[in-house]
Amino acid sequence: MLRDVTFGQYYPSDSFVHKMDARVKLVLSLLFMVGIFFVESFVVFGLITLYLLTVIAVSRVPLKSVLKSVRGIVVLLFLTALLNVFFTKGESEPLVNWWKIQIYKEGLIFAAKMLLRLTYLVIGSSILTLTTTPVDLTHAVESLLKPLRVIKFPVHEFALIMSLTLSFIPSLIEETDRIIRAQKARGADFDTGGLVKRAKAFVPILIPLLVGGFRRAEELANAMNSRCYEGATKRTQMRVMKATWRDLIATLFIVIIFTAVFVIYAKKATWGENIWLYF
Amino acid sequence: MSKSKKIVAPTVEIPDCAIFCQNLTFEYNQKSMFAKRALNNVNLTIQKGEFVAIVGHTGSGKTTFVQHLNALIRHQSGVLSVLGHNLGDKKPDLKALRQDVGMVFQYPEYQLFADTVLDDVCFGLKNFGIEKDKREALARDALELVGLEFAKIKDKSPFDLSGGEKRRVALAGVLAMKPKILVLDEPTAGLDPRGKSEILSLVSKLNAEQNVTVLMVSHDMNEVYENARRVIVFRDGEVVYDTTPRALFRHESEIEAMNLEVPAMAQLLNTLEEQGYTLPDELRTVEEVYEAIVALKGGRNA
Repeated sequence: MLRDVTFGQYYPSDSFVHKMDARVKLVLSLLFMVGIFFVESFVVFGLITLYLLTVIAVSRVPLKSVLKSVRGIVVLLFLTALLNVFFTKGESEPLVNWWKIQIYKEGLIFAAKMLLRLTYLVIGSSILTLTTTPVDLTHAVESLLKPLRVIKFPVHEFALIMSLTLSFIPSLIEETDRIIRAQKARGADFDTGGLVKRAKAFVPILIPLLVGGFRRAEELANAMNSRCYEGATKRTQMRVMKATWRDLIATLFIVIIFTAVFVIYAKKATWGENIWLYF
Repeated sequence: MSKSKKIVAPTVEIPDCAIFCQNLTFEYNQKSMFAKRALNNVNLTIQKGEFVAIVGHTGSGKTTFVQHLNALIRHQSGVLSVLGHNLGDKKPDLKALRQDVGMVFQYPEYQLFADTVLDDVCFGLKNFGIEKDKREALARDALELVGLEFAKIKDKSPFDLSGGEKRRVALAGVLAMKPKILVLDEPTAGLDPRGKSEILSLVSKLNAEQNVTVLMVSHDMNEVYENARRVIVFRDGEVVYDTTPRALFRHESEIEAMNLEVPAMAQLLNTLEEQGYTLPDELRTVEEVYEAIVALKGGRNA
């Protein structure tokens, strides 16, 4: 059950997207995440949908694996949508007016757009993690943060902490699974009782997990010490990242799309509300 | 015995025994593209009071099999009955089953969590609804059984103990529930030779004196040879051998082909047999074999 966590899982392949420079992918993903909040009309959403489908097709990651990451936040999505439906006030007559609840047309449209934005946000970020190994990702972060060294920010250590955290996740999941089984075998019951009882039932899992975490951290520290690890001093990287023609094409592709998005957003005032882009 | 609705095959008469399974099959990620068959038509009958070793290469299905026995992995198809609990039932009585089948995992000391040793040993008892005044007596018995001094250790924090002591406390936490079947997954992994032999002799004692049915998963064939009366070998989700240790380890080349080692004692006996010296099959320890060799030679003073 715990093993099903897919958010941030690498899908191995040697597609165009996989071969891109992790730094470029990271920056473009960030651009996408910011850009998506400037999308206001369903027509442009259609354009973005087309864009995402193209990227997914080019990356050769099955659509199913991409959508799996959305499944994890379905509850959040629906809560957000519901809140938007109920709390957005419109100028026209409400569609539903019952007791204290009024639902306006504007609320429905706003909720639908919010739903789309959040879904695309998650899909966009999971394309990044599905096509980039955690190791490459941390190298990218390290490389991009390099300028911060000027203000004495420990960039290398920061990246190391990040990669260690990522690499510990699978083993911690496995350990959690094992502890749950062991306590279940001793009659522990996690599925019945009230909230307090259920919360208490997790103590026998959390404590061994914490103890195990500290144990692992200590073992790792010893292993690093015994191999003379000294931090950032004069370390070189085994794999040097290099941007190629692929990255140029991808960048141009995204820049064109989001320039269009920004232009449409900026022109909203001059073109007026009622043109086709805003139905 | 209630009939299960899941079972498609004609319901079979389940004999009175510890574990009975027929055509037990299990797939991970069933009905998905990642489906992987971990058990394939396993048929086994284990009588009450047996000492069975379960061996096999990593990924052979042995762990999947033992986790079926107290429903940590839910039964999918085939017949599985453990001490009369039919696991094919829609809602088997999990509490009663898990009280009957004690399961000791690999590195059980990593499951300790309570403030004191006594609380930790009582955790299972509490879960199974045993009254407070009876718990301490049961915990005392269990701790003394594993060779710890109850008065000295009961108020200590389990995290302050040595590795061997931790493991014994964890073992006591399972034994306190007085299980009728004891399943151990590599109980001696990571222990020093003395710790190993203490745990093994404790398990043998429980088996011999209290008639506890023991199933032990192990990678140490010497351990298997000396302790178990019956060995079940899993490979690719199937039972490939189900016999006595002596008979099993006569198949030296097949055993090695499965990445398992042949225990030293079996190697010695096999070599002797090749040379024409046949010793009785039930010899297990160094002392027994020594005595037999001496007897073969016609006594000490011959």
